[in-house]
Amino acid sequence: MTTSRRGLLAQASALGAASLGLGAAQPAEAQAGPITIALASRAPTGLNPQKTALTGGDSWAIRQVFDTLVKAEDGTFAVRPGDFRPSLAEAWESSADARTWTYRLRRGVQFHKGQGEMTSEDVAFTYGRQLDPSIVTNQKALFANLERIEAPDRYTVRFHLRRPDPLFNGSMVTTLSANILCKRAFEERGAERFNMDPIGTGAYQVDSVSPAQGVMLSAFPQHFGGVAASPSLRIAFIADTTARTLAFASGQVDMIEGVRQPGWIPTIRQRAPRTIFDATAPGSFNSLHLNLTRAPLDDLRVRQAIRLAINNAQIAAAFSGLSVPMVGIIAPQFAGAVKDEDLPAELRYGHNIARARTLLAEAGHPNGVTIPCFTSQREDYASIMLMIQEQLRAAGINLDMRIIDHATMHAENRRDRNAMTLYSSSFPPIPWQPFLQQLLSRAQVKPDGRGGENYSHYGVAMPGIDAQIEKALDEPDFDRRVAVIQDIERQVLRDLPLLGIVTLSYVIARNPRVDLGFPVESGYAYWPLNRARRVA
Amino acid sequence: MARMIAARLLDAVPTVLLVLTLVFVALRLLPGDPALVVLGEYATQEQLDLFRREMGLDQPLLWQWFAFVRDMLTLDFGVSMITREPVVQLIGQNLPYTIELTLVATGMGLLFGVPMGVLAAVHRNRAPDSGVRAFSLIGYAIPDFYLGALLLIVFALNLGWFPINGGGEGFWDRMYHVFLPALTLAFVKTAFLGRLTRTALLETLGKDYVRTARAKGARENRVVYRHALRNALLPVTTGLGLSLLATLSGSVAIELIFNRPGIGELLISAIAKRDYPVIQGGVVVFAFFVVTVNLLVDLAYIVIDPRIRAQA
Repeated sequence: MTTSRRGLLAQASALGAASLGLGAAQPAEAQAGPITIALASRAPTGLNPQKTALTGGDSWAIRQVFDTLVKAEDGTFAVRPGDFRPSLAEAWESSADARTWTYRLRRGVQFHKGQGEMTSEDVAFTYGRQLDPSIVTNQKALFANLERIEAPDRYTVRFHLRRPDPLFNGSMVTTLSANILCKRAFEERGAERFNMDPIGTGAYQVDSVSPAQGVMLSAFPQHFGGVAASPSLRIAFIADTTARTLAFASGQVDMIEGVRQPGWIPTIRQRAPRTIFDATAPGSFNSLHLNLTRAPLDDLRVRQAIRLAINNAQIAAAFSGLSVPMVGIIAPQFAGAVKDEDLPAELRYGHNIARARTLLAEAGHPNGVTIPCFTSQREDYASIMLMIQEQLRAAGINLDMRIIDHATMHAENRRDRNAMTLYSSSFPPIPWQPFLQQLLSRAQVKPDGRGGENYSHYGVAMPGIDAQIEKALDEPDFDRRVAVIQDIERQVLRDLPLLGIVTLSYVIARNPRVDLGFPVESGYAYWPLNRARRVA
Repeated sequence: MARMIAARLLDAVPTVLLVLTLVFVALRLLPGDPALVVLGEYATQEQLDLFRREMGLDQPLLWQWFAFVRDMLTLDFGVSMITREPVVQLIGQNLPYTIELTLVATGMGLLFGVPMGVLAAVHRNRAPDSGVRAFSLIGYAIPDFYLGALLLIVFALNLGWFPINGGGEGFWDRMYHVFLPALTLAFVKTAFLGRLTRTALLETLGKDYVRTARAKGARENRVVYRHALRNALLPVTTGLGLSLLATLSGSVAIELIFNRPGIGELLISAIAKRDYPVIQGGVVVFAFFVVTVNLLVDLAYIVIDPRIRAQA
């Protein structure tokens, strides 16, 4: 393992932040000006929800500027069909086969800057861009099940799907790229200008966008949900951990994106005990792909030994409350997840080094095995894999691991060059999505880079779950579909091509002088700030 | 002199071409697919192919190289793969901050470094000399990113004398924002220039013509500043050029720590995202600076050294 400059900076940051403990005991108190949140991104890249390569900072701004047809309760994820609440649509219904979804739009919803009323034409335009294969848009694959959209009148839109989707609101309506664009403004300004001067219906409108200042927003007085609690917001972009932490400690910003690394929260708490940490659960799913085409991972007993040697609970504990151990592939907070106590005894692996060693010996490796692999230098990847490496060592499994640049890791993974691939993804609360993406045979990774994210070759190197997934995708009833997904979870636990390790929350450190107006429990890595206000 | 400048500029052409080619090859050898980085995990294969086609990444490498060199020679740097903004515009937004940081840091380095070197040379093996040598050692030993973090904590966070981050707007605000980052870079520069000046001046003070000047009864200040220092400045000038370029590259880490806009920060971000046009444009700008600074150093020789002026 090599020490990177990024690592050194993080250490310098930790040292610096720790030394702050000698100084003041709390971030500076109230300051005038907009409520400011600083995200770990360099500069705004664009505020069009359908633009690719959006950063976390962009997503935060987009969440304030645009609205979706329906939404989850603030600070939560909607994980079941009944969890969704009206937003731009005031009512919706699904056909019995869950292939046709009809939405009745709220009347009188205004776009920013006098761009007129939001109608079904704007909704059709927004989704039409996702349907058009000649336009590069964000999250296109999530819309693959959408066949067509129609607008029978000014306030009604109807979606026609290729296959049933009982959780359509979660799959295609509440995701970032489903925020409704203003057709007129988009066509008048063009994609490039709309990108930096977008028009939405959200509680805040864009005043300015610049690399130095970030995104300046002001409350939209005609927002259908009422005027935002604070007159202005600033989305700042501070990529470096040290600079961001110091900006928070000095009180220059009210909230900062946290670092998902063991030790970060205690360090900040040492400096500022009253700091509030808003964390989403589950956040990212961190799963370990075992490449079934590589010896000795093609042997089930070796995979079981690995499962038994990894202590998920211990890894989760290292993240100071930001992490939850996973049992299967779906995060425990989502529908379809299996619980340890509900599993048959043979699938309740637990942490058992002695049993792991026995299994290795039975597999013909009494002296242990060495598995070459690589992972990313990004804090969360490196931290988790280093812990896994240490845990596996106790069972005689030696990971010959390289830590490499993040983009390089993804590229190398996509060329099937890794034997054990830690994959971190913030899946939407769609129980079948992790399987579609990571375990279907058609998502198998390929050496030419044109494959998917099935890094284990499950369903190709050995029989997989394709048939069960097809059955689930044809099921229009949510509960029955979830039951099939749970069967699949058990099958995956039996075959162990992919091990759920931990979820890792997205975290924002907040100065107590700001009240969000709701508790953050789960949700995407951005949340509304229309109820945020200074209380001190 | 015009002929010399023209010759130097001609010399620079193969250098720049070589840099362009090296950058191009290095980027293509670097693992990491820009299409994957830009489109993320929910991209379809059709979208990935479409993106590669739009960006010319599906063309043969040799064709890509020709197109790249052709575009660079016509100053067409293309558009960012991430933001779709023209690279020239992105560089134009960021470069002034980097130049500002480099010049202020260099000015500080000169302001402190040369007098310190003179002080040390004049008081050789005495307390001021020991002090300057100790300072130089510390200056070389402390990594600039660590020193930057310390200065931030002490002067910006705990004392509140300087801003934590940003580049500022308007001349005085920008000077206010650039002070701490420039001081960080100037620390090493002062150590380097101080040491260089001391060595060069000591060597010059031992020359015959200096002894002659003293024998003729010239005052010590005149001997040092009029006779010796001017000749000692030749190696200092070379060192200054090198130091200027080092500061330019050192600005990368400092811009990150102080969250200043700048070409270094732009490049780091572009490298992480495999934004080829921005990386290529940024490196070309750096190459341009190297060539320009070397040329300026050559010109400075002519001004300082009459022997070179005669040859030119």
